Amino acid sequence: MTFDASRDAQAPPELVQLLTPEGERVDHPDYDIDLTPEEIRGLYRDLVLVRRIDLEAVSLQRQGELGIWASLLGQEAAQIGSGRALTDADMAFPTYREHGVAWCRDVDPVKLLGLFRGVSHGGWDPTEHNFHLYTIVIGSQTLHAVGYAMGIQRDGAEAAAIVYFGDGATSQGDVNESFIWASVTNAPVVFFCQNNQWAISEPLEKQTRIPLYRRASGFGFPGIRVDGNDVFACLAVTRKALADARSGQGPTLIEAYTYRMGAHTTSDDPTRYRVAEELEAWKLKDPIERVKAYLFKNQLADQAFFDAIDAEAEALGRDVRKRCLEMPDPDPMAIFQHVYAERHPLLEEEREQFAAYLATFESEA
Amino acid sequence: MRREFKLPDVGEGLTEAEIVRWHVKPGDQVRLNQTIVEIETAKAVVELPCPFEGVVTALMAEEGQSVDVGTPIIAVDDGAAEAEPSRATPVEDTVPKPPAEGAVEPGVHGGPAPKQERQPVLVGYGVKTGATKRRPRRAPAPPPGGHGPGRGAVPVQAPPPAAQVPAPAPAPRTAVRVVTLAKPPVRKLAKDLGVDLTTVKGTGPGGTITRDDVHAAASAPAAAPRVSAAPGAREERVPIKGVRRATAQAMVASAFTAPHVTEFLQVDVTRTVEAVRALRELPDYAEAKVSPLLLVAKALLVAVRRHPMINSSWDEAAGEIVIKHYVNLGIAVATPRGLLVPNIKDAHALTLPELARALTALTETARAGRTQPADMSGGTITITNVGVFGVDVGTPILNPGEAAILAVGQIRDMPWVVDGQVVPRKVCTLALSFDHRIIDGELGSLFLRDVGAMLEDPLRALAWS
Amino acid sequence: MTVTTARTVTTVTTLTLARAINEGLRKAMEENPKVLIMGEDVGKLGGVFRVTDGLQKDFGESRVIDTPLAESGIIGTAVGLALRGYRPVCEIQFDGFVFPAMDQIVTQLAKMRLRSLGAIKLPVVVRVPCGGGIGAVEHHSESPEVYFTHTAGLRVVACANPADAYTMIQQAIACDDPVIFFEPKRRYWDKAEVDTAATDVLPLHAARVVRQGSDVTLLAYGPMVKTCLEAATAAEEDGRAIEVIDLRSLNPLDTETIFESVRRTGRCVVVHEAPVYSGFGAELAARITEACFYHLEAPVLRVGGFSTPYPPSRLEEHYLPDLDRVLDAVDRTFTY
Repeated sequence: MTFDASRDAQAPPELVQLLTPEGERVDHPDYDIDLTPEEIRGLYRDLVLVRRIDLEAVSLQRQGELGIWASLLGQEAAQIGSGRALTDADMAFPTYREHGVAWCRDVDPVKLLGLFRGVSHGGWDPTEHNFHLYTIVIGSQTLHAVGYAMGIQRDGAEAAAIVYFGDGATSQGDVNESFIWASVTNAPVVFFCQNNQWAISEPLEKQTRIPLYRRASGFGFPGIRVDGNDVFACLAVTRKALADARSGQGPTLIEAYTYRMGAHTTSDDPTRYRVAEELEAWKLKDPIERVKAYLFKNQLADQAFFDAIDAEAEALGRDVRKRCLEMPDPDPMAIFQHVYAERHPLLEEEREQFAAYLATFESEA
Repeated sequence: MRREFKLPDVGEGLTEAEIVRWHVKPGDQVRLNQTIVEIETAKAVVELPCPFEGVVTALMAEEGQSVDVGTPIIAVDDGAAEAEPSRATPVEDTVPKPPAEGAVEPGVHGGPAPKQERQPVLVGYGVKTGATKRRPRRAPAPPPGGHGPGRGAVPVQAPPPAAQVPAPAPAPRTAVRVVTLAKPPVRKLAKDLGVDLTTVKGTGPGGTITRDDVHAAASAPAAAPRVSAAPGAREERVPIKGVRRATAQAMVASAFTAPHVTEFLQVDVTRTVEAVRALRELPDYAEAKVSPLLLVAKALLVAVRRHPMINSSWDEAAGEIVIKHYVNLGIAVATPRGLLVPNIKDAHALTLPELARALTALTETARAGRTQPADMSGGTITITNVGVFGVDVGTPILNPGEAAILAVGQIRDMPWVVDGQVVPRKVCTLALSFDHRIIDGELGSLFLRDVGAMLEDPLRALAWS
Repeated sequence: MTVTTARTVTTVTTLTLARAINEGLRKAMEENPKVLIMGEDVGKLGGVFRVTDGLQKDFGESRVIDTPLAESGIIGTAVGLALRGYRPVCEIQFDGFVFPAMDQIVTQLAKMRLRSLGAIKLPVVVRVPCGGGIGAVEHHSESPEVYFTHTAGLRVVACANPADAYTMIQQAIACDDPVIFFEPKRRYWDKAEVDTAATDVLPLHAARVVRQGSDVTLLAYGPMVKTCLEAATAAEEDGRAIEVIDLRSLNPLDTETIFESVRRTGRCVVVHEAPVYSGFGAELAARITEACFYHLEAPVLRVGGFSTPYPPSRLEEHYLPDLDRVLDAVDRTFTY
């Protein structure tokens, strides 16, 4: 392997960036962002609150309240930036780590916890917030998104689908099939790949010889790499891609170049395959720090604002914790519900038999 | 109130962890999620965040100590009152309770923390260790076999309604099968005993036929299986089934495979009759019925020892004659079910009293209808007593698998020449049928002659034993 | 199509099984603009068995979609279309090519409703021509039904004759659950009368007694129904009255019809092309034995393929259950 997919501190070429890690605005020939101070403060708030929810969930897992949690630490900008580019009519297809996109879609964070706590396999209505359920099978959702986009085409609606997946997922057959389908049907879909450099313990070079965004050209549609830790750039690039999709120009592949600061999940120990230096290097590119620095340097926010956000985050964390602990276990008979839309006699028979069986036991005091 | 934090499964497959370093000590104020301790798992150090707020009251494990998952490691006074807050009501997206009445508590409501009985694995809460005791049940468990012969099922005698079939092919037979309810072992028992299940009333659950029902049917006097003839009918039909069918099949098999030759011998059995009377007086024979048949049997057994070839069978498949060095003595018995031929196993080894008892038992069992299939298999030679019907002699048919069968006729007074005088003596005719493939005229004759000689003079049986 | 006579208009016509499905698809598409057809070669070519012949011409490329050569993609995009409110009817070209789509079928199509706690429904039909006896090369003669009957969340049906094919495809499309729809490809050219306006039709998941009898019940589905009917006719010479049931639906199963028959006849033989080992007959045998234990004169016997991959076509007649193998099993039920 001669090509170094690179984890060094220098940003690789062809990476759209509008805000440096130090909080300085930079220009890009193709992309710009026009945000009011209130909007930028809003993005900062999104980033902080989403990180806080994520940290609370990690704690809850460490305290045995969740079976597992997939942390998005370090990827907040990619998710808030792209999430805030969506319109109400657009439909988002996440993997299982897009808690930031869920936030943008107004999905109650506690709804996400049910899956990780083992209370349900998801449990929310995708049409309520146009945010599809979490998909655990890697890459499957890319085909769903393309099919959904094909439906949008047939409806003649002005909407697009966006689908999230990681660097590892790009090796899956379904993801590649989805690129084929999207390209030959010219589907209104945005492929948003969060390249966080790691698929559990497999580094990027196990998945590809070339930068991921260049894959798209092999399938015949545009690919673009953006600084995944730059919320402005992610917002700008995703807006454009969605607009292209909605206007009938077909799919775009966005590679958000970011880093998975935490473990793959709480069951993972990254110290077994990553070096500390790498983590330290990426800490310097923190997505939230650079926005804070920008706000501060440009006097768009004062300490009172930052304190208020921190307080709000703290309260949000406690609220999520409280409601997580209050989450009731499902009734055993829930096993039999919602499997089919129409009546299924054998399932009903099993349900009755199980209920009768349970009734033969003395009550638990 | 005092809250304890038990060492949780941190999802790395650990069953225990070592306390590396406490970050707090008793008396310290702790915030929610504050790191309180570092633990070391198999390969990494993990920081644990505190689930409570309050004041540390006790550290329950020491640095360097290895602790099992689920063990309390720290106690914190959270300043709350002692009473536990009640559980919140379920939120709207949970499943409504089932409509069962009463205090049904299905399942185990696991509460927020995974129980310490779980074995941690890489993904998820981990493997729960199995229960070692049964949960107590309130009602007797449903009977095995559940719902009996079928919910709502009634033995149906008619075909399903035609409406169900769009273009039914007409069934070639109009006869309808009568449904019997019996489980496989019971069906087999019925088959072995020759019981027709369609005639048995089932006393089991749902009208199923039980083993006892089959046994009862087997020993009951046969209900006249006749289809009652209409008055003035010229013919009557009796179904061929059960024992009669089995017997017929055996006879046909025997008659048409082994070439039968029958030889006859009339014997003066006066001394046998006297011996029988004498034997009856002996205490050894108090338990058994002694009859001339006993001495016929004994004579036959002695004669078999003198002429072993008579006690054999023709094995066509192996191309061999099998000479048996044991005698399973078959006795033909007329029973209410028909003719049965149970045999006494290893009759050759029995003493005379034992033989008497065996004969008695055999006939009683057969007449009571309790003969088992095993009793009727494995015979090596047979005696058939046609004398009980009041005839002199017959030409018996071999029991399949045997080479000889001895028929014994009635004993009656007949004129006989003794020392030149014609006197009335007890006379009986013996008929020996044998498989001429195995037994030639000489052997058959010698055997028959020996049997006759022992019946004429019982002392000879003693001499030849 | 209707035939007008002097006084009456009859909707009864003779159709091949393939054409009957075609007519059923056409009717479903006419009645609901959300119904789509998608698969390899289904549009311009009309399907390799011509089952979708003429439909793209009449309904357009937007509704009859020639897809890339990607089975997983067919099912995956169908899921997406269903999420958007459409009712896609997917075609998998041959049974042996359903396997690349297994992940999407098993992990997504079958489970998404439960995952959403009932918020989502996926009214997707997956049509799969199945079975052997057509002299084909590898992978074109499979009977993979148990992979799907064993996957909770799916419905699995199999038509065996043109009239059922016509109604069942429409019922499957109308069903709000995902349906795997097996079509017996060797019977595609069998003809029979179909009343295209019939209204009192069997529900999708009902079994049908296609031949009455009193001595033994044969259970079959798809291609083996015809084989069993032929066997039953031949058995008349032996003096045996065989009852034949076309199961039609494998999941859910019409146990009522099955149990009523077996309790009446006391004997049962299951016939399918798929291997006997772990085949659908195993489920039937266990279930029937449990429910009809006291009525059984003999154990439930199964006739099916051997525990081998499907053989080359020169050998397939020895592998596939035929009239003699079926009647041999019937004979054996009478030896108990």
